[in-house]
Amino acid sequence: MINIAVSSQKGGVGKTTVSINLAHAFARAGVRTLLVDADPQGSVGLSLTRQSRLLAGFYDFLKDPSTPLERLIVPTRLETFALVASGQASDYEAGGGIGAHLSRVRDFLHAVAGRGYDLCIMDTAAGLFGVTGDVVSSSDAIMILQQAEPLGIRSVPKLLEGLNRMRVMNPRLSILGVCLTMVQHDLIESTEAAAALRQLLPPEMVFQTQIPRNPLFVRASARGLPIGAMEEGAAVQAVFDRLRVEIEDKLQPGDARRV
Amino acid sequence: MELIDPWLDTAEVRRLAELLMKPSRHPVGALPEAGFEAGFLGYTTTEPAVVAEESQAATPAPAEETVTQADPEPLPSAARSPFLDIIHHFRDWMREHFSAKEMFILDRQGEVIYDESHHGRLHFLARSLALAPRRPGSFAGYVHIKIRAGATLEVIPVEPPNGYLILGAVVPGALSPAAVTAVMEAMILVAGAQTPVRPIGQPV
Repeated sequence: MINIAVSSQKGGVGKTTVSINLAHAFARAGVRTLLVDADPQGSVGLSLTRQSRLLAGFYDFLKDPSTPLERLIVPTRLETFALVASGQASDYEAGGGIGAHLSRVRDFLHAVAGRGYDLCIMDTAAGLFGVTGDVVSSSDAIMILQQAEPLGIRSVPKLLEGLNRMRVMNPRLSILGVCLTMVQHDLIESTEAAAALRQLLPPEMVFQTQIPRNPLFVRASARGLPIGAMEEGAAVQAVFDRLRVEIEDKLQPGDARRV
Repeated sequence: MELIDPWLDTAEVRRLAELLMKPSRHPVGALPEAGFEAGFLGYTTTEPAVVAEESQAATPAPAEETVTQADPEPLPSAARSPFLDIIHHFRDWMREHFSAKEMFILDRQGEVIYDESHHGRLHFLARSLALAPRRPGSFAGYVHIKIRAGATLEVIPVEPPNGYLILGAVVPGALSPAAVTAVMEAMILVAGAQTPVRPIGQPV
């Protein structure tokens, strides 16, 4: 199994939207995928299941590692796609420095690997500290989302410093790259910001695929569905399929962990 | 690039990014003391006592001697020196103001200047964190790492004019920013071979 943390320096860049639809893209391609909501806000659960307020989840495991994984896994209509909600204990010591939950995060991932999943995608809270720091310190790879707007681009140095520090914590961490989100082709500041990021960073560090701002995301969220499960969602789903292929290509060829 | 050029040093950003995209210099398992490699499951259990590294190497200014002290008891008077006295004053100050139970001080090369922590295996981690690539001129930030229940390792680097010191201190809980500032000020006095004046700052 390989586990990928989806993270960002700033909040509100579309982590949950990307995590849900990327996980769904992998699952549609036959990859046994578990999507874990590691953001205490619980947005994955709120997006995909009406029972999210009742579900035990990731933070319940952190609070009590004896919680059986079976109690946390929520199946979906797609056999290869399941999710773990944030849970009811999401206020459980969510702060704190890196290392506070490391042991339990790793226990959780070992338990997930033992269930035969090929891929675990973890939607994290913004920033690289607290539980997110422990998730990244336990992950095989990290994908960073960056909103295509000038302020976000200016925060890139801080993001890179944070990632370099994460690399110290977790020397095997693979940086999949930065994915631009909420790109607005009809807004020059947005397209210029996207172009500036591509000039700023090495080409291999920026995904070719970028996620557009699209009202379909709002509609999908309203219906509690991934984009790919909506009749009119094919074009946007194709974006996530391209992103999936890019990620597969970035994982080292021949790597046994390749999904 | 007008959107970002005036706001950041693009060459430095590029350098940091290229460092990240290099394959890891440390394959899995190559860093037995890094603390966070694959076999490591966190600090929730009691840390095994590790004998601190002996070091005969030259140490940076202003220390004239390298002191490795696994036992927090004062050294015999014959072994004492003015600098060691200053460090002991600093240690006492850390205990009094922040309830620090264990402490080590490293130089830029990771050589031990002082150690009464029993956390020798954390030296590599502390140094690596303190020296993680960053923008020139930007300060190496401090880091809190919870190592077990009721014990947080504070890694606090300081850059006095005459050297570079990395403090590792085990405290009951993460220090506030104001407290870290006070510790940094005290560390700079230590680096200048001055006894911390009590109180330095107002610990929170």
